Amino acid sequence: MTVFKTFWKILNKNKLTVIIYTVILLVFGISNMKTSEKSMNFQAEKPDIAIVNYDEETELVKGFVQYLNKNCNVKEIENNEETLNDAIFYRDLNYVIYIPENYTEEFMTGKKPELEVKSTGDYQASYAKMIVTRYIQMANIYQKKISDESELVAQVNEVLKNEAKIEMTSKLDSNAMQKVTLYYNFASYSLIACLVFMIGLILNSFNQEKIKKRIIISSENCKRHNRALLLSNCCYSLIMWALYVIVSLILLKDIMLTTRGLIYIANSLVFTLCITTLSFLIGNLVNNKEALSGISNVVSLGSSFLCGAFVPVRWLPDFVIKIAHVLPTYYYINSNETLGTMEKITKETMQPIITNTIIMIAFSIIFIILSNIVVKTKRKIG
Amino acid sequence: MIDMFFHNFKYILKTLFKNKMLIFWTFAFPIILGTLFHLAFSNIANNEKLDIIDIAIVKDEEFNKNIFFKMAFKELSDKKNEERLFHTQYVDEEKAKKLLEDGEIIGYLKLEGETPKITIISNGIDETVFKYVTEQVLQMSQTGIFEIEDINIKNISNKNLDYTMIEFYTLIAMAALYGGIFSIWVMNQIMPDLSAKGKRIAISPIKKGTIVLSSFLASYIVQLIGMALLFAYTILVIQVDYGVYSKLVVLLAAVGSLAGLSIGLAIGVLMKVSENSKTGILIGITMIGCYLAGMMGISMKNIVDKGAPIVNKVNPAAMITDGFYSLYYYETLDRYWFDVISLCIFSGVLILISFRNLRRKKYDSI
Repeated sequence: MTVFKTFWKILNKNKLTVIIYTVILLVFGISNMKTSEKSMNFQAEKPDIAIVNYDEETELVKGFVQYLNKNCNVKEIENNEETLNDAIFYRDLNYVIYIPENYTEEFMTGKKPELEVKSTGDYQASYAKMIVTRYIQMANIYQKKISDESELVAQVNEVLKNEAKIEMTSKLDSNAMQKVTLYYNFASYSLIACLVFMIGLILNSFNQEKIKKRIIISSENCKRHNRALLLSNCCYSLIMWALYVIVSLILLKDIMLTTRGLIYIANSLVFTLCITTLSFLIGNLVNNKEALSGISNVVSLGSSFLCGAFVPVRWLPDFVIKIAHVLPTYYYINSNETLGTMEKITKETMQPIITNTIIMIAFSIIFIILSNIVVKTKRKIG
Repeated sequence: MIDMFFHNFKYILKTLFKNKMLIFWTFAFPIILGTLFHLAFSNIANNEKLDIIDIAIVKDEEFNKNIFFKMAFKELSDKKNEERLFHTQYVDEEKAKKLLEDGEIIGYLKLEGETPKITIISNGIDETVFKYVTEQVLQMSQTGIFEIEDINIKNISNKNLDYTMIEFYTLIAMAALYGGIFSIWVMNQIMPDLSAKGKRIAISPIKKGTIVLSSFLASYIVQLIGMALLFAYTILVIQVDYGVYSKLVVLLAAVGSLAGLSIGLAIGVLMKVSENSKTGILIGITMIGCYLAGMMGISMKNIVDKGAPIVNKVNPAAMITDGFYSLYYYETLDRYWFDVISLCIFSGVLILISFRNLRRKKYDSI
């Protein structure tokens, strides 16, 4: 009981660390929860654009702007070069269209006046370019036949009304699943940071030479002491895990209570236990409290960046993903990603997740064995 | 006097370099973080380009009859075409469904009379483009014109558009402000109310100004060496692009480091808490500053710049980041000089306040 009480005393003294990482997770979780509708039906992507019109408000310009409004998010941004340039750089806009002076007049006489644009060069911008091109091309074709401006615009609109039918086969609400995946991926960072630092700190306090000597000569059975320590560590880890699960229940609500949601929770439990054993190893290896904050930062940030907790895995370069295979976080995140895109839960589709779980358990066993070796070699003190 | 200046300078320099924790957080940590940024972000720019999209078309009688669709998709899937969009497989409907389920294609097209029908599995930009282009083909077929003329679009965007660079600029800002740890530590060494060594120094017959100045200078030198290492690493290994004005980059780094040291100085002098808490406060200020400057989400800086411009005008991390950004992205230098001058004023004010507080301080002999 003494060990158990001391454990919580030290924890209580350093609760700030736990609070900081939990707040970080909360901020991330909430900013991620922006409302989006259920994505069971087709929704077209809309690039963000701005229009700067130096021409008069002619019928052609009006028609063009109306068309752009339908296919893009036209943002009202102050017409100031610096604001527009900043917006492009920070991807607040994907495309800016400058309609020059006398555009309509030149267009109607059959010339091909030039449109100036600013573009981010990403896929949204490429798509915006297609949208712009289509309208002008269509207008170009009819300009040869029709000389009246309003009639031309009406004709172009008429043709553009033809649409394709679209059917979406997936019944999975991929937007919602995406959110769950993002939350649990990010939680791996907070979990590692909290567990490695805290458990390391506590083991260190018990491992200080003077205290260790006192513990060894005490009447308390060594095995019982170790068991109490291990138990309190596991208890702390489980509380952290439960805290993050509760946060996810509050943020993501009923989706967490489906079978799929429960698998996410189970997966994070296995991961938590794996990280607890890792923290135990690190705590026994490192005998310097100051070094611990450095190590816990490097371990948590390193595994989060390399395994895709911050940047989605599909965006990581191949060689980084290969490196990530040696870290347990990779398997945890891989399971989350699989769950997020899986159409149906069957024995077959669950196979990769089961494999990942086995690998995480194997990691835990290796960490336990290693920390036993470390503890044994360090036992003798002069 | 000058002797004493160099004596103190030398020993502060030596002790700073021997303090492993200080060196880890100011020298090694930014380099480790930079490496992680590089590993995670190096592929983003490529991923944001529109890739060739895998689709299938149900090749039945309807499709064979429709010359427009046949020609258009042949053209759009042609390997020689520079504006190629699709990689198209012509299959029967069963096969197309199978391909879609296996994730080999993002969707397939089937003609139902005149109207095309697209089947997809989920939402996304590729699916949107597929639908859009199909509609374009349909609409062109109604005009009855095959040849489409190109239109005149001129791209006038600035060249340097890689926004992941902001991450590295905030990293430099973080390293610069972390330098404040040096001045906190140094002040702790020389202030009589903070350490035993400080008491010994205080009763020695040396002017306080000499001690403070030489210590400050020594920590500045260490800080600049750390910055030089970080720059060497980001330029040679990570290949961060700082634009073309290398001298101005050095100036900005030097002024930024000064701002970091002066924050540390102010915290060290004005706050009456333990050294650990002072370091904690400095790291907290740095992290909040870097967050607002876009370290944890690049768009943050733009949101703050637009929504509450005053916040980033007094945030040293944002000033440093913005300075590098304007060297990288803008051709004119007005914005850069504004940032450099703001940083100078910021540091000047903090140093002045700290020195006013240090002057004429006497300790009773209780």
